[in-house]
Amino acid sequence: MTVNAPALPPFWSLVEAHGDELLAHARRVAGPEHAEDVLQDAFLRALRAYPRLRHAEHLRAWLYRVTTTAAIDAHRSRPREQPVAELPAVGVEDDHDPGGEFEALIAPLPETAREPLRLRFVEDLDYDHIAGRLGCSPQAARQRVSTAVRTLRERHAA
Amino acid sequence: MTPLPDTLLEAVASAAVREGLADAIFTRLKTPIGRLLVVQGPNGIARIGFEEEAEDALLAGVAAELGPRVVASDRELAATRDTLSAYLEGEGDTLELPVDLRFVHAPFRREVLETLHDTVRRGEVVTYGTLAERSGRPRAFRAAATACARNPVPLVVPCHRVVPTGGGIGNYGGGAARKRALLELEGVL
Repeated sequence: MTVNAPALPPFWSLVEAHGDELLAHARRVAGPEHAEDVLQDAFLRALRAYPRLRHAEHLRAWLYRVTTTAAIDAHRSRPREQPVAELPAVGVEDDHDPGGEFEALIAPLPETAREPLRLRFVEDLDYDHIAGRLGCSPQAARQRVSTAVRTLRERHAA
Repeated sequence: MTPLPDTLLEAVASAAVREGLADAIFTRLKTPIGRLLVVQGPNGIARIGFEEEAEDALLAGVAAELGPRVVASDRELAATRDTLSAYLEGEGDTLELPVDLRFVHAPFRREVLETLHDTVRRGEVVTYGTLAERSGRPRAFRAAATACARNPVPLVVPCHRVVPTGGGIGNYGGGAARKRALLELEGVL
């Protein structure tokens, strides 16, 4: 390790301390049927990035962000032919403040990006309906969701 | 809140090992001499802790020495677990496991532990003086005793087989009672 490297706790201590709540979070953002795959992917992403972290603070919040990003990427890569499975179940099982974490996640983005993300991931609309709500073509709706997801991912990777 | 399934944790750990993402792998093992925490480093067993040792501190030390990507896996360490269990239950004759002494920074202490690992078999004991002599410094029996007292990999490097010249079984990092139990297991007492 270099001299300036922060004293990071053993990765598995984080997994054992926060794993249960991260699984609950994965259920909220990815749906129960995808939660475990998403969380597994999130842990591996986190492990890859872990030695490069510049400080050892807010590690729990960081793991929440990595899990959310993994859920979004999993959703995007899933085949479109699975209409039910494809829809993320944000807030569906939540007993408090449904979508609150999602709002916090997208808060840094401009409203022009937040609205397509809400329509897609919170309201579970398909692109025809998103287009109707945004007053644009389905193709443009898809483009706006895609751009917003990319912006979100870049912001959280930074 | 539903607890995280063990299968998920094992899958993460195995994938991490496969991708070369794990700086160290650890496992918790129940044995007749209590729960052990066993840590595998790049070249072999790097740390073994008895149950009295605080796990947080032990793993923090592992992160500092080997890197922070510390993962747990019973599956990846299955062979090590089997070897240790068989030995401690009296079924295995030898405890042949690769050892990684990178926690030992002082050159002479490392020499002492390597000598101990390589030359003192099950059923034998040596004195601290003999061990110092075999390690190349006959008068350094106190340094040899310190090396044993701070042995990061008890059992695998058999510091329980080192006894005082004046008789008795002497001290042990894991407690004298455990040293006695191990020597009884090995048929010395």
